[in-house]
Amino acid sequence: MDNHDRLLSAFLAGELSLEAARRWDEHLLECERCWRAVREDWAGKQAAQLMRQPVPSGLADRVAFAVEVAAAERSVEAPQAIPRASPRHGRRATRRRRRSWRLAAAGLTVASVAAGLIVALVPGAHETTDLPAAVAAVARYAQAIPAPARGPHWSPRVPAAPIEVGRPARVVVGGQRIVLRTWRLGGAEAVVAVSGRPFPRPTRARGVSGMGMAWTARVGRLDLYCLNGRTSELVAAPVPAAELAALAARLPTG
Amino acid sequence: MDATIPCLDAVWQVARLTAGEGQEPEDLVQETYLRAYAAFGSYRGGDMRAWLATICLNVARSQARRRRRRLWEVPGGSLLDALPGSSAERADGAADVADVVIAGLDADEVARCLWLLPEPQRMCIVMMDVAGYTAREAAEVLACPRGTVLARVHRGRRKLAQLLAEAGVSHGQP
Repeated sequence: MDNHDRLLSAFLAGELSLEAARRWDEHLLECERCWRAVREDWAGKQAAQLMRQPVPSGLADRVAFAVEVAAAERSVEAPQAIPRASPRHGRRATRRRRRSWRLAAAGLTVASVAAGLIVALVPGAHETTDLPAAVAAVARYAQAIPAPARGPHWSPRVPAAPIEVGRPARVVVGGQRIVLRTWRLGGAEAVVAVSGRPFPRPTRARGVSGMGMAWTARVGRLDLYCLNGRTSELVAAPVPAAELAALAARLPTG
Repeated sequence: MDATIPCLDAVWQVARLTAGEGQEPEDLVQETYLRAYAAFGSYRGGDMRAWLATICLNVARSQARRRRRRLWEVPGGSLLDALPGSSAERADGAADVADVVIAGLDADEVARCLWLLPEPQRMCIVMMDVAGYTAREAAEVLACPRGTVLARVHRGRRKLAQLLAEAGVSHGQP
């Protein structure tokens, strides 16, 4: 690194003293090499700054919900995960137990904060408060998905295959284990929740004629469609209830 | 975790430009926050933005390895040399690179040229110019001295400007 490079680095880092900066300005007027380096640095920086993009709407909610789910899982599982202490490892086990309970307590705190955030920030989240806990969790998760810019435009005639969006999320609500997957099909996004236990039917739900234990309900901008069988599937999507069964039939549930 | 929410923008910018093929930046951000939550007990204070960016880069790298993608091995140098009118061939009297770049900035072209840079330079540019990290924070995330970050970001910016200028000139040729 020669003197040019040293001065240039110091200038670009904003580390030149007033006197050094004055000498540098004079130098730039005479030195084509340094002048070009400064211009190119500035042009490259301007270009790189074009790459900035705003955070997508809904990402903060999605992240908050994911943390809430993780916190809920931890708060349910943490006590079971505590190993039984043997007399030889009594102190270490006690420390681990204390740490686990501290984590669980922190998890519950974060969960309550995140739940509050979701209720406050997600449109329609307050409408889930009178739903059974498992159904409310699925509805809140689906509400955190941003609505398409042009509105959902799913049609039963859409020929495309569904595409899974993101990763499956696992949540334990009131002891009920639920796996949540998000699917995109023909412009609409739907959440499919699968559980080994039936999803409790909300008081405001309507039964589906000829479908036994199936029910539908509306929550905010979402419609829910539940098919309780050997495993239970709850589909939540911003799609009219009349079309939701057809949409659900196109989505994988495994 | 409330303290991490203001860092979402910076994490998003890093995730967008480090997500490999088949990786959704939104998923990367979510995984970053989940790991941060899981590891919050081991967080010893310090720069929260830098901590989150470090997690984000680790997640991106481990997922890329899992997918057997060669995310960090873009052959920047060889592609750079192969471009028409490369720096070695350019005469001193060529048009001012900065003027050409500023006259025709195009986000897609910038993205393409950014990926042609060697990974260390690209990462320094992503951290400082796109995500808005300071040189000190970028040095912490990338585990290298601050002076190295400054040198890399300078070389990267110049190379980016040259690549863009060359792309602009070559587009104008028949």
